[in-house]
Amino acid sequence: MEKEHGHGKHQYGMVIDLDKCTGCGTCMTACAAENNVSVRPDESDKQRSIAWMQLFKITNGKEFPHTEVSYFPRPCMHCNENGRGHHVSPCVSVCPPTATQLDLDTGIVSQIYTRCIGCRYCQAACPYKARYFNWWDGYFPKGKGLERYLSPEVSPRMRGVVEKCTFCHHRLMRAKTKAYAEGRREIEEGEYITACAEACPAQAITFGDLNNPKHKVSQLIKSPYAFRLLERLNTKPKVYYLSTKDWVRKMADNYLPGEFKPVTKIGG
Amino acid sequence: MSIEITRRNFIQFLVGCVAGIHATPLPWKLTDDIAIWTQNWPWVPVPPVGEFTHVNSVCRLCPGGCGIKVRKVDERAVKIEGRTDYPLNPGGICPVGMGGLQLLYDETLRFPGPMKRVGPRGAGEFANISWEEALKLLNDRIARLRKEGRPQALAAVDGNPRRSTMSVMVERLLRAVGSRNYLNIPGAEDLSSMVGELMQGTEAPVAFDLENADYILSFGCGLLEGWGAPGRVLNAWGLWRSEPFKGKVRVVQIESRASNTASKADQWVPIKPGTETALALGLAHVIIKERLHDTRFVNDYAFGFNNWRSGYGKERMGFKEMVLKQYSPMRVAYVTGLNPDQIVSLAKEFARAKAPVAIFGKGKGNLSGSLYEAMAVHSLNALVGNINRPGGALVPEPLPLSSLPEVIPDDAARRGLEQGRLDQAGSWRYPFTRSLVNNLTEAILSASESPVDTLLIFSSNPAYTLPDGGAFRKALGKIPFLVSFSPFRDETALMCDLILPDHTYLEKMDDVAWPPGLQYPLYGVSRPVVDPLYNTKHAGDVIIHLAKGLGQAVGSAFPWKNYEEVLKARAKGLYEAGGGLTRFEEGQTPAWKMVNKASGSRPGYKSFDDMWKQIKGGGLWYKPSPAERNWEGLFKTPTGKFEFFSSRIELAFSRAAEKRPLQAVLKSMGVQQTGDEACMPHYEEPRLNVDRSAFPLQMVPYEMINLASDWIPNPPYLYKSLFDTQLLKDDSFAEINPKTAAKYGLKQGDLVMVKSPKGEVRVRLNLFEGAMPGMVYLPMGFGHTAYDEFLRGKGANPNDIVHGPKDPLSGYPIWWITPVKLVKV
Repeated sequence: MEKEHGHGKHQYGMVIDLDKCTGCGTCMTACAAENNVSVRPDESDKQRSIAWMQLFKITNGKEFPHTEVSYFPRPCMHCNENGRGHHVSPCVSVCPPTATQLDLDTGIVSQIYTRCIGCRYCQAACPYKARYFNWWDGYFPKGKGLERYLSPEVSPRMRGVVEKCTFCHHRLMRAKTKAYAEGRREIEEGEYITACAEACPAQAITFGDLNNPKHKVSQLIKSPYAFRLLERLNTKPKVYYLSTKDWVRKMADNYLPGEFKPVTKIGG
Repeated sequence: MSIEITRRNFIQFLVGCVAGIHATPLPWKLTDDIAIWTQNWPWVPVPPVGEFTHVNSVCRLCPGGCGIKVRKVDERAVKIEGRTDYPLNPGGICPVGMGGLQLLYDETLRFPGPMKRVGPRGAGEFANISWEEALKLLNDRIARLRKEGRPQALAAVDGNPRRSTMSVMVERLLRAVGSRNYLNIPGAEDLSSMVGELMQGTEAPVAFDLENADYILSFGCGLLEGWGAPGRVLNAWGLWRSEPFKGKVRVVQIESRASNTASKADQWVPIKPGTETALALGLAHVIIKERLHDTRFVNDYAFGFNNWRSGYGKERMGFKEMVLKQYSPMRVAYVTGLNPDQIVSLAKEFARAKAPVAIFGKGKGNLSGSLYEAMAVHSLNALVGNINRPGGALVPEPLPLSSLPEVIPDDAARRGLEQGRLDQAGSWRYPFTRSLVNNLTEAILSASESPVDTLLIFSSNPAYTLPDGGAFRKALGKIPFLVSFSPFRDETALMCDLILPDHTYLEKMDDVAWPPGLQYPLYGVSRPVVDPLYNTKHAGDVIIHLAKGLGQAVGSAFPWKNYEEVLKARAKGLYEAGGGLTRFEEGQTPAWKMVNKASGSRPGYKSFDDMWKQIKGGGLWYKPSPAERNWEGLFKTPTGKFEFFSSRIELAFSRAAEKRPLQAVLKSMGVQQTGDEACMPHYEEPRLNVDRSAFPLQMVPYEMINLASDWIPNPPYLYKSLFDTQLLKDDSFAEINPKTAAKYGLKQGDLVMVKSPKGEVRVRLNLFEGAMPGMVYLPMGFGHTAYDEFLRGKGANPNDIVHGPKDPLSGYPIWWITPVKLVKV
């Protein structure tokens, strides 16, 4: 693992415990509220609606009464590689105007809206469908007063650009500013966490530096139950999931019959 | 000179162009300019920067009362977060609370000031009036009723949580005016109070020490759908799945549908909706038969477990004989649809757990439930002796708030107070129920002229939320004068004649008096996070103002200058009770751990004024006290013991039977059993009186945590988290089992009408394996006809077609088994 996230100083990442996740959607709401994500009157058109953090519902497919439901909260995976061994995420490698970049010091995949030309290449390249295109300007009709709750920390997007989860990058800036003002060069664990991790009422989301062995995330990813989505694409996502349920882990990738290996030996 | 265009120089020209375009910056500059130009439209908002601050407060969107921290930029609130310095919900909040700013700032959801209706009822056409004029309109109306000698024609429907100061104020206003017709919107807490009163002798709702329990047997409680205090329950859920509890706590969900709670529980026990009572008693049967019950508790501290002799020497049946005779696993299996082995093993697991707790209250607990069912479930806690033990059900002391000085009614008021309640709550028919909105509806609809002249509506949206097939809406149409205090343009408010808009919860000071089900007393006070945006007034202040305008007699019941003084007057009792805490630090021992041991808590205040200053400044008052309490003298029932056989029910029967035959009494109460069972929790199949061949399926409404279904509008953000198999364009979905669909030749996504004897709603179908065959599940929270484009006209409201009898004894509506059929559109 260390090797995998070895580039750069910090590699921020997230671990989502699906056994704890209750599917309540607070992460989605917190994310939208934190990042000025616009809400349109019809959010049921999932091809058009924007959700940096998106909840997916899965079922084990068994008949009543053996049915089980589980949820996958899906932020941007902040991939470290493009799947062919190159040290760029799949979206970064295709972006013509360099509107998106993988920051080596933090591992965060950024998105610069004013550079984006709206070609949607990155959307096509992203295996996780974590990128969203603005088909319209944000929905803030005159006289409705919705713009009053917008946060100045994140710029509202305009029609024609792609947006996505930034791991609440502005919160990193905030934490750094605070640390610098106090004469520190480094920030402590917990000083910078994303809005979704902070909001989760069941504490299912843990956020921290995967490169720092003292951070909880770097310990959690060693669990035999830890996995990533579509791991075999080799995009090296920095969002990990935990689930003790075989059927949930199996959903995370496409397996041939008999290929999936359930966890049999539980270490540590 | 002319250049001849040849193939050769044409290609040369093209190649030159391609090469040249790379050398000139023009296209790049142009692209960049276009990008900048198209990204700076004047209508794309640029949020102004300013000073960042935060304000600590308490969320009052539901009775759960989470601690919230609101981030502000100058005067604007920009984000709501959970407080880590609040014991109830350390850090997390629910999605509705998270989206609260949309309710504050979405102007089209709100009333900008007092208004008078000018269009037809429900059309939402209002004219602005001044507060002076608005209050005079209402004042004259009430004064006239008092003058005409019928103050009881003033009624109020109140959705403020029980124990809250607002609910006390509204009831007080009515009393001072001379009306007993104060009605609360019924919910699981009322049921819990009744169980407390009948079985434990204390009217305080039963509390549950969930965090310390190791086996949670939930009878349909939507633990993950917003049951109890959601911030606390979701946090507990996270704890159960973390070290050191991981794998040691077992959650069992009894529910017919694979809800989030059922799916995420360790075990899902799907039973037919409405048969929970039978299952609880079946479990009791096994526990008693296998001698797994706490013999010390049932023999020494409980009444009516064994057979007993009445004063006349007649042998009476006890709980033990009843369940052993009538609730064998075989019979219960037949009723519930389980198999007998499942019942036996479930009972054994429950009884053998170290700290098992059985909990009741359907879904979020916003709606009423069944009294016998709640009693049956609670009797399981008693059987295993897990009452006032860590991880058990607790008999709470009431929150020590000071009571306000007695209201002294004048002659006009006294005449009104002599009249009975219109809803008959508390009468011989419904001896234990505090209020029954469904009965008020019936009284209005059956009278030629509405017995209610003026109806005040507080913090509720009964025209939308009541599961009554739209009956309340019809009743509203008959009431001459309707007054709404809602800050929101909800369905009920749109029917009102006068709007006296309250502040939203982020603009005012108000209290949360003990979140439902919490194991220790907690009192929180919200504070204004921002100044009121519009010309609204605190409903508490309006009541005081109104009372003072009604003359000396009514006004003297409200000697306070403003609502804050009332809050302070009540909070004095907390100080006098002594020993509570007003601060919770991040990282401190969680309050639920403190109930495990006697805690020497040091209050952090010097005087009452100091304490009040802390509470209202985003603080709180709470008092974790040990769960372990002696059973001796704990129960304040007539027998002084925990009552499996309720002597209060028996007394109510015999009192009512003094004037009429017992059979008639039981029939009016809706109780089918006539023997000793009627005084004990027992199962009765509700009589629907509907031709089931015409309505072969059953509609069961269900709730979701990410869709507000109570009186609060759903924050638009939450629509992002709904799946397109829950809402698609303007259609919500009914969940049915694929087998049921196949039987009626229906497919995924089909548009159908769900028809009940009360009406029909249009939905799409979602085939879901987690739905019990034969059932049709409709989500609650859709189908608004009010509010704005985010909420209006989306999906169907299952309340519109609910059809069912009344719950025996309590008189609450049964809303969970509506007979329906599906007709393809």
